[in-house]
Amino acid sequence: MSMETSRETEQQALAWLTRQEIGPWSESDQSGLDEWLRADTAHRVTYLRLEAGWERTGRLKTFSVGAAPGVVPRPGEWRRSPFFEHRTVSAAPSAVRRSAVKVAALAAGILLATGTASYLTGIFSGKVYETALGVVTSIPLSDGSSVVLNTGSKLRVSLSKKERRIELEAGEAFFDVAKDPSRPFVVQAGERTIVAVGTRFSVRKDGADIKVILTEGRVRVGPGANGGAAELLVPGVTVRTRNQVLVVQKSSLQEAEQALSWRSGYLTFDKTSLADAVAEFNRYSPQRIVIDDPRLAALRISGKFRSTYAADFVQVLQKGFGVQVERVDENIHLTSN
Amino acid sequence: MGEPLDTWFKCEVIVHDEALTRYLRRHWPYPDDIYDLRQETYVRMYESARTHIPAASRPFLFKIAQRLMADRIRKRRIVAIDSMVDLETSRVAVDDLSPERETAAHQELRRLADALDRLPPKCREVVWMCRIDNMSRKEAAAHLGVSGKTIEKHLMKGMKRLIEAVFGDVGVSGRHSLEEAEKRATTVRVLSKDTDQEER
Repeated sequence: MSMETSRETEQQALAWLTRQEIGPWSESDQSGLDEWLRADTAHRVTYLRLEAGWERTGRLKTFSVGAAPGVVPRPGEWRRSPFFEHRTVSAAPSAVRRSAVKVAALAAGILLATGTASYLTGIFSGKVYETALGVVTSIPLSDGSSVVLNTGSKLRVSLSKKERRIELEAGEAFFDVAKDPSRPFVVQAGERTIVAVGTRFSVRKDGADIKVILTEGRVRVGPGANGGAAELLVPGVTVRTRNQVLVVQKSSLQEAEQALSWRSGYLTFDKTSLADAVAEFNRYSPQRIVIDDPRLAALRISGKFRSTYAADFVQVLQKGFGVQVERVDENIHLTSN
Repeated sequence: MGEPLDTWFKCEVIVHDEALTRYLRRHWPYPDDIYDLRQETYVRMYESARTHIPAASRPFLFKIAQRLMADRIRKRRIVAIDSMVDLETSRVAVDDLSPERETAAHQELRRLADALDRLPPKCREVVWMCRIDNMSRKEAAAHLGVSGKTIEKHLMKGMKRLIEAVFGDVGVSGRHSLEEAEKRATTVRVLSKDTDQEER
């Protein structure tokens, strides 16, 4: 229980955010902030709330398009902005790539940093977001949607007046799509397109195959290159392609949420084969877990693990299942007794 | 920073901020308490998520808020009947659970732009330069011919107002006295008779 009032805590959090925004920001500032956040959960939740709000104010950058830096328009002048007339607002494309180590407010500042003239003509090269192994990051988009990008993933975002187009080049992403019937939200994963209006869903790309999990609303999964039917998804249904053939799988919403627990840094297994579980962990680290004994591959695992703590997982295998663990170079090899 | 739980919290919990604040305002007759209640709801949500992440964050969040209010009612002993009834039915109003987004994207932008324009002129300039033109403290200070400290002060104020606009929170707290809150409440009754202890 905090000794401060919520208002006092909020003032402190605002002071941290302000200094983070305009600098100077040193390592000792960062550790000061970390310490303050750890001191009290009330600090942390207050800070996170304000940080999330501040990230969303980044959409104001829309108005700087075409204006010279340092020239502040008069109040109300932005109303003449063409973007406002059309009700919908597009992103200012930026060439900034994110290594995504920092999810801090700073990063949100960089995200929409450079409004350019291409914006006005509707030509988009698209913004690219990439995550390193083991990193899960959230990206607010200027249309009000947000993306949570999983480990080792790459995404290209182009927002125009007619369409919101996302290209999932690698990995996995969860989309929380802001409703905008005039601008469909199209995710391209390999040869498949997934079209949504306002909904929450994830797309994962494994080589040529994709997997779509929906938790809310409706999406349509388009046909592949060699034809086939389009599939309309409702919550609780998972669609995946295996060798480019569409497979529809019924699952409970609970199962869908479990499959999406990576968003909070966890992997959830429910009678998952060790082979599949290991493949999941291997997505999060350059260090590989290798199953040397084929008999082990069929072992069924249930439980929830931190995605970046493969060591914990291996320890469970060792203690709970009597699996032999051997470290060779950087990798972990598993054999049975 | 970079706690996975933090990302989850921002994506899955804070998105419901506007609805949560509205829910608290509707059911709690004392506007001065709203921010404390909201913060405490978040604290409990976060603490609980450390051990288990709820499958559906929104109903869970409202449940926590509801329980907090019920606790306070028990401690306070005096409360408006109308808010009591709602809490006792132990159901969260249906519209509070709607999965719809609170605000369409263009509305949020309009709210932001309006909030920006309502800032005092110097404050507005500073926000523009720092947030929109990405100037550093030093650059903004040089541009406006003021100290870095002044920039910080203005930005902090502007930041607060813009964030309030994002969350659609105009901030009622402080405007109503406790007496007004009591008047607002249609009926007041003593809830528990087993204690003589007076609060307030």
